[in-house]
Amino acid sequence: MVKHEQSMAAAGDVVVSGLNVGKTFAAGTVVALENANFDIKRGSFVSLVGPSGCGKSTLLRLVSGLIEPTSGEIEVHGTPVNGPRADISMMFQKATLLDWRTSLENVLLPTEINGTPSKADKNRALDLLKLVGLEDFAFSFPAQLSGGMQQRVALARLLQTGADILLLDEPFGALDEFTREHLNTELMRIVAEVRATAIFVTHNITEAIFLADQVVVMTSRPGRMAKIINVDLERPRPLSIQTSVEFNKLVEDVRETLGAV
Amino acid sequence: MAVQDATSEVLVDTLERSLRNRRIAKHVGIFLTLTLLWELGSRMGWLDPLFYPRPSNIIRSFWLIYFQNANVWFHLYSTISLVIIGWVLGSMLGIGLGALVGFNTVIRRFLKPYVIVLEATPRIAVAPLLIAALGFGVNSKLAIIMLVCFFAPFINTLSGVINVNEERLELFRSMRASKTQILRKLVLPDAIPVIMAGERLALTAALSGALVAEFIQRDKGIGSLILVYTRNLNMASAFACIFTLTIIGFLIFKGMEKLDHYIAYWKYEGGRERMSSKRKRTMVEP
Repeated sequence: MVKHEQSMAAAGDVVVSGLNVGKTFAAGTVVALENANFDIKRGSFVSLVGPSGCGKSTLLRLVSGLIEPTSGEIEVHGTPVNGPRADISMMFQKATLLDWRTSLENVLLPTEINGTPSKADKNRALDLLKLVGLEDFAFSFPAQLSGGMQQRVALARLLQTGADILLLDEPFGALDEFTREHLNTELMRIVAEVRATAIFVTHNITEAIFLADQVVVMTSRPGRMAKIINVDLERPRPLSIQTSVEFNKLVEDVRETLGAV
Repeated sequence: MAVQDATSEVLVDTLERSLRNRRIAKHVGIFLTLTLLWELGSRMGWLDPLFYPRPSNIIRSFWLIYFQNANVWFHLYSTISLVIIGWVLGSMLGIGLGALVGFNTVIRRFLKPYVIVLEATPRIAVAPLLIAALGFGVNSKLAIIMLVCFFAPFINTLSGVINVNEERLELFRSMRASKTQILRKLVLPDAIPVIMAGERLALTAALSGALVAEFIQRDKGIGSLILVYTRNLNMASAFACIFTLTIIGFLIFKGMEKLDHYIAYWKYEGGRERMSSKRKRTMVEP
């Protein structure tokens, strides 16, 4: 709520906002998210961090339009969200690639759903595969790729839509530590390159801070936004920043917020 | 290094081949021994030659029915054509209805108890009724084959269509895909491998269904031929027919395996590699 009032001044720059957003499941008996207020600025990277059941995935799915809020309202680019929309693209914990399609065809899927892909669309998909470092695997099938490579394809597919708001639901959560770190660095580079606004859900505190301009700390039962922490670390950020004093102060801040509630 | 690798590869190759050859030799040896024992048993009077004809007689019968009398071709043609037509019609009906029922929850709920009852009933039990209703001839034979062919594709298509991965569905929804697009680009391709498994079961069932129909009708087909030979106590020729069916069954199995590699290519390493390079070619050329 604090955040909402703070950024009212820069309202023109806000691309996603929520006002008193709440979501209950099972006929109101389970409160997944309570009274969430937020403004997300154009081009910013926001991490939602918290334990399971804190409503972080629910919040992401509410923004995506996949589910509807029980109360309150969410606006994207100034219009209320009432269903999936073209200016939002989403990526999940699992790569969810189609096994019968090559990497290139998987990346082209969103374009195909909007119409027939043109030569330019195909070139764009190839460029995106290059951007995620898979130019040599454009014609490979998912079963021929490792878990990390599959998520790279999903990342390219996420960008293929051209949407400027990217929703990432623990995209590298199922991968091993090394691959995840590597892909996080790549993600940071790519999101900056395409100048997108990103909302990133994770339960990993380090990852949340490392990637974000703002970390939204969420607590459970009921799920609510407990604190918004600004991350004023310089970019580009090397992996080594994670051992710095400033970084660890932020980690402590997040931990305290999670422990205090 | 490369040279060494190449040599060791060749070495491993020859080793594998010689191991395989030895295995094949063993199998052939066992088979020949068993056949010889059977032959010997028949000649020595340990086995009643009336019911257990000598292998040499069976081989002679093969020659008789295929070449000298050449009477088997007519029946073979009748059986195989019926099996193929019945299989195609029956399984198409199964796939179509399976998809329809899978997509429509209302129909599904209504049909479920009937499906359970029908599944518990041996389909072949209905065969005499079908003959009574449709009369002797091609129609009732086809109906029996279609009946035994229907269920596996029906159930498999139904379950393939129902069990769509929830995450993929969410992905398609987030991309604002229409119902038709979800069906064409997700549900159907995803169900192909399980539908193919159903088709394989159906084709095997079709052959059995054809035999039962021919046993009852006794006009033509391998089934009626077996019946005739058995009644005439010409067991060697009956066995030749049975082994013919063995070969057909084996060909069906292999053929369906090939078809599966072709249609559900992404399930197999070879299929993936083949399609991968094919897609690459078609992308580069035009």
